[in-house]
Amino acid sequence: MSRYILRRLLMALPVVVGILLLTFLIQAVIPTDAVSAMYEGQVTEDEAAEAIAAMRERYGLDQPWYVQFVRYGANVLQGDFGESIRLRRPVSEEIGYRFVNTLTLTGVALLIGIGIGVPMGIISAAKKDTWLDVGAMTVGLLGISMPAFFFGLLLILVFAVWLMWIPVVPRGGAALLLPALTLGLIEAAPLSRIARSAMIEILRRDHIRAARSRGMGEFSVIMRHALPGTLLAVMTVIGLQFGNLLGGAFIIEVIFGWRGIGELGVKAIQWRDFALTQAIILISAGAHISANLLVDILYAWIDPRVDYDQ
Amino acid sequence: MSLAQSVAAPAEAAPQPRRGGWRWAMARLLRNPSARIGGSVLLLILFCAAFAPWVAPHDPLHVNTLGRLLPPSATNWLGTDEVGRDIASRLIFGTRYFLLICLIASTISGGFGILLGLVAGGGSALADTLIMRCTDMLLAFPYILLVLAIVAILGPSLWTAMAAVGIAGIPGYARLIRSVALTVKREEYVEAARALGASEAQIILSTVLPNTISPLIVYLSYATPIAALSAAALSFLGLGAQAPAPEWGAMLVNSRSFLFTAWWAVAAPGLAIFVAIFSMNLLGNGLRDVLDPRDV
Amino acid sequence: MPTRRSLLALSTLATSGLTATHARPAQAASAKELRYRLIEDPESLYSGQSVSLTVNTCLNFLHDRLVYIDAEGKPQPWLAESWSFSEDSRQITFKLRPGTKFHDGTDLDAAAVKFHFDTILDPKAASPVRGQIAALDSCDVLDLLTVRLSFSRPFAAAMILLASPTYGVNSPTAVQKAGRQYGRRPVGTGPFMFKSWSAGSEIVLVRNPRYRQLRPDAVNKGAPFADQITLSVLPEEGVAFSALQTGELSAAELQTDTVDRLRQDPRFAVVIDDKAKNLVFMEFSFRPPFDDRALRDAVSHAIDREAILRASYSGYGRINLNPLSSGIPGYDAAIGTQYGTPYDPEKAKALLAAAGWQPAAGGLRAKDGKPAKFAIRSYANPATDRALAVIQSNLAAVGIEVSVSTADWGTFYPSLLREGWDMTLNRWTYSDPLVMTNLFRPPGHRRNLPADEELTRLLTAVDSTLDPAERQKVVSESQKALLERRLILPILTSDQVTITQAGLQNYKFDYLNQILHGDVRMSDW
Repeated sequence: MSRYILRRLLMALPVVVGILLLTFLIQAVIPTDAVSAMYEGQVTEDEAAEAIAAMRERYGLDQPWYVQFVRYGANVLQGDFGESIRLRRPVSEEIGYRFVNTLTLTGVALLIGIGIGVPMGIISAAKKDTWLDVGAMTVGLLGISMPAFFFGLLLILVFAVWLMWIPVVPRGGAALLLPALTLGLIEAAPLSRIARSAMIEILRRDHIRAARSRGMGEFSVIMRHALPGTLLAVMTVIGLQFGNLLGGAFIIEVIFGWRGIGELGVKAIQWRDFALTQAIILISAGAHISANLLVDILYAWIDPRVDYDQ
Repeated sequence: MSLAQSVAAPAEAAPQPRRGGWRWAMARLLRNPSARIGGSVLLLILFCAAFAPWVAPHDPLHVNTLGRLLPPSATNWLGTDEVGRDIASRLIFGTRYFLLICLIASTISGGFGILLGLVAGGGSALADTLIMRCTDMLLAFPYILLVLAIVAILGPSLWTAMAAVGIAGIPGYARLIRSVALTVKREEYVEAARALGASEAQIILSTVLPNTISPLIVYLSYATPIAALSAAALSFLGLGAQAPAPEWGAMLVNSRSFLFTAWWAVAAPGLAIFVAIFSMNLLGNGLRDVLDPRDV
Repeated sequence: MPTRRSLLALSTLATSGLTATHARPAQAASAKELRYRLIEDPESLYSGQSVSLTVNTCLNFLHDRLVYIDAEGKPQPWLAESWSFSEDSRQITFKLRPGTKFHDGTDLDAAAVKFHFDTILDPKAASPVRGQIAALDSCDVLDLLTVRLSFSRPFAAAMILLASPTYGVNSPTAVQKAGRQYGRRPVGTGPFMFKSWSAGSEIVLVRNPRYRQLRPDAVNKGAPFADQITLSVLPEEGVAFSALQTGELSAAELQTDTVDRLRQDPRFAVVIDDKAKNLVFMEFSFRPPFDDRALRDAVSHAIDREAILRASYSGYGRINLNPLSSGIPGYDAAIGTQYGTPYDPEKAKALLAAAGWQPAAGGLRAKDGKPAKFAIRSYANPATDRALAVIQSNLAAVGIEVSVSTADWGTFYPSLLREGWDMTLNRWTYSDPLVMTNLFRPPGHRRNLPADEELTRLLTAVDSTLDPAERQKVVSESQKALLERRLILPILTSDQVTITQAGLQNYKFDYLNQILHGDVRMSDW
């Protein structure tokens, strides 16, 4: 088992290095760097050229990209993610709490998504091909057909402006509510579909038939025998899709001004602040890879038939 | 973006609808209510796109700054926008952009995805490892940042947005096709063909490729609306279609500050995107019912 | 005197940082709190280390400056009680008022001022502000309260720069203590003191009880009326609008579209800053065929400024025929009337025809077989998008087809250094006529203008002439020269419009569009 985990970690390594390499290649071909993105339009004097050059030198932007890449790699290995040019502070300080914010948003949204989507999927599966099933699946389709930013604005309109249940200006815990709800409702749709498919498949299995034939009520069959398998399927998909989930959270962060890494990432690219961008890409890629790994390990642990060497 | 892509996972390596071939599938599709509704709306969109100049009541680019943000009326069915253009006409012309985005993005993702998937699934172990690690990279790369970076390199335009969305969709297709290829390669008749001296390339073209069609259609029906939504999200960041093109995402974004003052200017493009994507999803739902027997 | 960038609001930030807000009535009863909107999250609050407009907006709460600019555009003493220029105008010696304390209780003395300018000058610090005040060579302490700034040349912009919040002096003790964290816990001398910056995108400032206001134009000479200021980051326009309605904001700068609706509402007041110093204008590439003055002339007559003002700013602003914003001293209306290019599509058509651009297929004009199809670039922003729509339809009306492309500022502006464009739509904010020099002294800010000795001479004189009467002369001549050459197509100056709760008092903008925050209060306090 530990050999399996180690092997998986080793497999992830080239992916991480590759991603990093890709970001440096991107940086090399993007026409502006952070210094010009900051200065352009602010400074027209030739005298500023010296100051601009000093700034490039300090942040190593005057070096070829591969030198920057090697330097960055060496620094990261020592736990130093560099300093953001725009924010004028170490990247790690900024990324830390923002990543926590992003995880909080994603986590709460997932809970909302699971809380709504899984029961919906189960009901659909139990009442397959009835109007209830069709209704639930149609509602689910509505969820994935809505542009996230449009949905977010509608939620603000309804809950903050019309109903006045929550303040418009995000403060404290209430700040999390709307973005999490938006993301959660959007994610509920695919989750309900996964839950439905998984449940339908499980309900066809022999041990369920056996339980039924023993005279067990449909409700108990679903709750006791089918639910665990369904949840496992849902968790698997969540794990495998964690990167996509984070990506979905990013756009929500931008819309609601939620200070997570996504909102920062969008700004970082517009600022051409690559120290920030690289750290954000690294951390979200890391989260994606570890979530995948966790799912696989979980599977290997649950199902000993998984061949660790294949 | 989002979990929605994962819904397509069950479609992987689905066998063909052998029961009755394509004609049988088509007949079933036509009987499927969700496919009928979705398909009809999409046909209507196609119609609008093809005959936009005749369908639209006004010139979508005609600016009238004295008639800004007029509410819906007999002349302007859906009202006018922030510079006095007729919203209904813009929506009708916008169908062209919508279809174009779907077409180009899917062609890029699908084209490269199929190619990479076939090489990975049908070629050598080295090619497989290389390609799969690359798709891993693309999957782990935060999607929206990847798209932003591509736009930063190429400069914002509708074409860049479509290319960016297309590139971001490649891994999904590549993985799907690869898994189909791996499954098919193990089938007995393929082994037999190999024993008879058929080359790998021949095998891929003659046996693997036809088998990918059905799962590909199912995947396409899921991935395309997601691509269209991503393109709209790019417009939200100001990186999609360029003004004054009547692209729905851009219309929605430019009008969003009027949500409380001139709701029609926001609701019209918002609902247009929603209805179009919804009908694509409905059609996809129907397609999956027909082509993916495991879920029926 | 000109200011560089703090005043140089890039159009991207057209809506500047702030909008004030007032707490919901229930909360207002418990504390004298004012709540304002920030359009984006400030990068840091380290004065002297950022050129962002939003940062500047926040710093205005925390820092007083050595000087301020009065309503006539003249520098007046603030933390400095007096100053003198050296013979060659290259050195300014400031005499500080005794007794000014930082929020942490330490003294604002000459050493603190030197410390501040040294953080800007230090090449290792690589401050972006360094580029803004590049002419500054050194800062020296002459005695406890006397400090001297030395410039490499007479620098006309110095005073306006020094009056902007970016040059508010930090407490050296606090900077040394906080190290790299200083940007998250700033310490100044201003009316409000930094309290917290929560991850929930809110900055809280509290009243500086020891504050004394030295500006004669202030109502309140003592500590501020409000106990607390809360700055909320609200990028979405619709959200800010509803926050005003629910009473969660005391004031907010809004896009003008929504203003009319709130104007009729007795719960709100509209504050229009008519001293706005921005100019929306078009420029030309000067590559063929735009090297032909006749073509530029024709295009200049084809643009309907009134329509742009309506579409982009709901009429809040003034159309402008001069290459200088009407809010900037030195604006010479007579020049615009005489040499400007008022909207006249018939004249534009005639000019095009005379220049060889004859109507061809589809109403499009062509010259020597080349159709009149051009590319215009701008930055992505709701106001520019609408202006571009109008411009596009205006030009179509005279037989010119333009394709439009917009991008974020960091993509758009650098892209102008390369080819591939014929016209741009731009917006520039600056407080001094020097803006003309910065933009148009050949080769121009985008390195595309042909050499022009006469123009270079005039615009250089705008930069270096310190005598007011002399300067007015060269400023007028420069406006005329720019118009005659059709170097710029001026369009309009937009107003900055802020909506406040009806009870909010003294929410007024000074010459540099800054608010005296100590003065602002609710009427029921």
